[in-house]
Amino acid sequence: MTAPAGSLLAADELRKAYGPTVALDGAEFSIHPGEVVAVMGPSGSGKSTLLHCLAGIVPPDSGSITYNGREMATMNDAQRSALRRSDFGFVFQFGQLVPELTCVENVALPLRLNGTSRKEAERTALGWMERLEVDDLRKKRPGEVSGGQGQRVAVARSLVTNPRVLFADEPTGALDSLNGERVMELLTDAARSTNAAVVLVTHEARVAAYSDREIVVRDGKSRDMERVV
Amino acid sequence: MRVRQWWRDLAMGVRFAFAGGREGWMRAVLTAVGVGLGVALLLLTTALPNALAVRDDRAAARNDLYYGDTETKVSRSDHSLLITNADTAFRDQYVRGRELEPEGPRAPLPPGVEEFPARGEMVVSPALKDLLESGSGKLLRERLPQRIVGTIGESGLIGSAELAFYRGGQGLAEKLGGGGVARIEKFGLSQGASEDMDPVLLLLILVVFVVLLMPVAVFIAAAVRFGGERRDRRLAALRLVGSDSRSTRRIAAGEALAGSLLGLVFGAGFFLIGRQVAGSVEVYDISVYPSYLNPSPVLALLVGLAVPAAAVLVTLFALRGVVIEPLGVVRTAKPARRRLWWRLLLPLGGLAMLYPMVGQGRDEGDFNQYLVTGGVVLLLVGVTALLPWIVEAVVARLGSGGVAWQLAVRRLQLSSGTAARMVNGIAVAVAGAIALQMLFAGVESDYTKRTGYDVSLAQMQVTLGDGEPLGPSVEKFRRTEGVRQVYAYSGGYVGERRTDPVLGTQVTVADCASLREVATLPSCRDGDVFAVRGADYDTDTQKLAKGGRTLYLDPSYEGDVKNSEVPWVVPSGMKQAQTRPDPTGSERGGFLITPKALPAAADAALEGQLYLKLDESVPDVRDLVRNTAATIDPLREPMVWQSVQRADRYTAIRTGLFVGAACVLALIGASLLVSQLEQLRERKRLLSALVAFGTRRRTLSLSVLWQTAIPIALGLLLASVVGLTLGAVLLRMAGNGVRVDWPSVLSMTGVGAAVVLVVTLLSVPPLLRLMRPDGLRTE
Repeated sequence: MTAPAGSLLAADELRKAYGPTVALDGAEFSIHPGEVVAVMGPSGSGKSTLLHCLAGIVPPDSGSITYNGREMATMNDAQRSALRRSDFGFVFQFGQLVPELTCVENVALPLRLNGTSRKEAERTALGWMERLEVDDLRKKRPGEVSGGQGQRVAVARSLVTNPRVLFADEPTGALDSLNGERVMELLTDAARSTNAAVVLVTHEARVAAYSDREIVVRDGKSRDMERVV
Repeated sequence: MRVRQWWRDLAMGVRFAFAGGREGWMRAVLTAVGVGLGVALLLLTTALPNALAVRDDRAAARNDLYYGDTETKVSRSDHSLLITNADTAFRDQYVRGRELEPEGPRAPLPPGVEEFPARGEMVVSPALKDLLESGSGKLLRERLPQRIVGTIGESGLIGSAELAFYRGGQGLAEKLGGGGVARIEKFGLSQGASEDMDPVLLLLILVVFVVLLMPVAVFIAAAVRFGGERRDRRLAALRLVGSDSRSTRRIAAGEALAGSLLGLVFGAGFFLIGRQVAGSVEVYDISVYPSYLNPSPVLALLVGLAVPAAAVLVTLFALRGVVIEPLGVVRTAKPARRRLWWRLLLPLGGLAMLYPMVGQGRDEGDFNQYLVTGGVVLLLVGVTALLPWIVEAVVARLGSGGVAWQLAVRRLQLSSGTAARMVNGIAVAVAGAIALQMLFAGVESDYTKRTGYDVSLAQMQVTLGDGEPLGPSVEKFRRTEGVRQVYAYSGGYVGERRTDPVLGTQVTVADCASLREVATLPSCRDGDVFAVRGADYDTDTQKLAKGGRTLYLDPSYEGDVKNSEVPWVVPSGMKQAQTRPDPTGSERGGFLITPKALPAAADAALEGQLYLKLDESVPDVRDLVRNTAATIDPLREPMVWQSVQRADRYTAIRTGLFVGAACVLALIGASLLVSQLEQLRERKRLLSALVAFGTRRRTLSLSVLWQTAIPIALGLLLASVVGLTLGAVLLRMAGNGVRVDWPSVLSMTGVGAAVVLVVTLLSVPPLLRLMRPDGLRTE
């Protein structure tokens, strides 16, 4: 399969195994700019592995991933890291904020890794924290804020570089429904306002409802729900 | 009830320590290895006094020769033995040798020897046997050609690597009373009461022990807290299911107790392995048999009780400021600021204990051992107490720089205690070592003296027997490979009467070239005689230097055996010479005589001395000389000249310090590495996440380096200050002026820094592995 026309990120025939365990077995994927795609499936189905492969964190054993028309397999580790710094953003289930840094320093971290000065990075970070309604937490450390607040800080961190693709792996998995919904609202609104594509890994239908399209992964194979329906 | 509750909680903690599958076991084993290494070192230390005592006992049991009047007291019988010293050396190793000649069937056998070797035979120590049978011992074999008929048993040796032999002798009775031969009836002769230990040396020994053991104690305290962060989470879960906070702390103490108990088992194992290894190694000429290294039972019991008790107490102490909440919120808020006042009390208390003893070493006064030990312990414990405060105070003021720096500084700001604990051991070891180096450098002059030997002129000296002709011996040494020049002197004593002279002076016979090395001569040719002026304590030469007067070489004394009493007429045309330091550093007086000016019969009255200038580039040149000397007289051992000579005890203490410091630093380095790896493993998921959003691996590696380097720099700075202070106080106690030995300060801090660098470098590969994306996987 060739990448669908206009797609920003596409994968074809992805295979990945961890030892004897097959995580991906011919999975396919595509996403367009500004689109929110939910990747669903039961635990152990391979959806997180798909996300890691798409983001260039884990190289697939075989298959092709193209980002913006460029084959990711041709990039070396440093190039993929640079891509993640500049074009991708990440939100994980448990935020994965650096516990020693204050919230604003956490949000500013991706910019600083890109070489932005501390002052400039923290100014931009604060802007995103305001949008995500956590600017009052800027001087607090992650251990001093609630789970929902921490996750919003993590969303702000993922968006601070204006990524073209946002990868969210169970972003509300550790939150109650109220907090989860608020995080999803803020995340999708912010992404749409910047025309960022969102790859949303979740096993909750309630969270998937925020997406434009759903892909189900089962036994390492993916299915586009629109086509099935 | 309360005791039962304690017991139950501790037991539950012990169970937790081993539960949790591979991870739990791993943590328990890491703790046990850390504690075990410390315990092994403690056991070794408690065994050292015993090892030294056994060595001393064995040395005393085989004691045979000493300078006294035994040979006149013991008469020949069926249980007497003639014995003489046949010591030699091979390369830099001392070889103990004795020549034995039993005078009857009941003559005493030396310890460890089953049968007397006959002439042409010898019994040797296992180490000497190996050496003689190896290719490298070929030169020594030339000197010891006797047939090996047995080995000396352990009871006859003071170390497994000792080189020793007993060989059969003949005709030793002829040399009795003057030739270094003694007649004895038993081995183990007492040399009288042992001399009291010099107080300054005692001070050094006490400080060495404290300085070496303190870091081990600090290390054990750190080791029982391995796995602390994961444990905290587990404790929070316990609170959730209803455990109260006191009980939770006791359970935590139980976990530490388990690690320390397993550590005791490991420690005993390490000690037994180390004991066996110790039997096959030789450090600075000292070797021991494994059987020597038996820890004193009381001290071993003390270690066995103190280590688990310390583990429990340290854990309870460490958790005193930690709020364990049921929702897993453990030490997440910023901890309370550390207080300075009580931390300062410790080093100040130490100084107060040491201060009353300032100047005592000068008056040969005794040091109160408890005050010395207590004072040094308090000062060094002060380092461990002050360091967390200093690290906290300094990192709180550090600004943010690059990302790596910011990550490191923020981490230190959040939990500086862990970092300070990691470097405490090194700081204590470095502080102690700096103090000791200062003390050693300060008292070195007291225990090291210049020998006066001119090693640029000659490097070895051979003394020939009475009446042994000089010429053939000189020729043999001249032909020896590696001997560049031979300065030959015959020496003796001359008096104005055959017997019991009132006036007397020294006589030196040599050719003109050799005489010029001992005095300033106006002119010289063979046949000349010189009277030497200017030598200290020489009052008789000018009185005896009257032309035509008959003097007697080697006069006899009443009650002594008759000597050669060779008459010599002082020539009328005698010249004057001015004394100068001779190659041995002393000034000669008396008469300098060239060979032609002396009757041939005088040879019997003189003893030959040869000073040999060597070509040091010739391999084993000293052993070639020794072999030549052995062909002249197997009992003749040449002397190797040294420009300085250190007191043996001083050398032994310094050796102990170097070996101990090396062990302690290696141990602490290992603990640092374990602790570092554990911290990294705790952060595996976070590291993977950071890498996921594009953090360079270099940034994270640098952050780890900063994280270690900042506390280490502060630790070494504090260690230098405390070390210099302690060193200054110890020097004042020893009665010496305070002088900072900067090279040793820099080298010790350098060694400490090198340990950190090595540990950081070793932790980089695991760090890179932990940064792999696998850390993000949850299933």
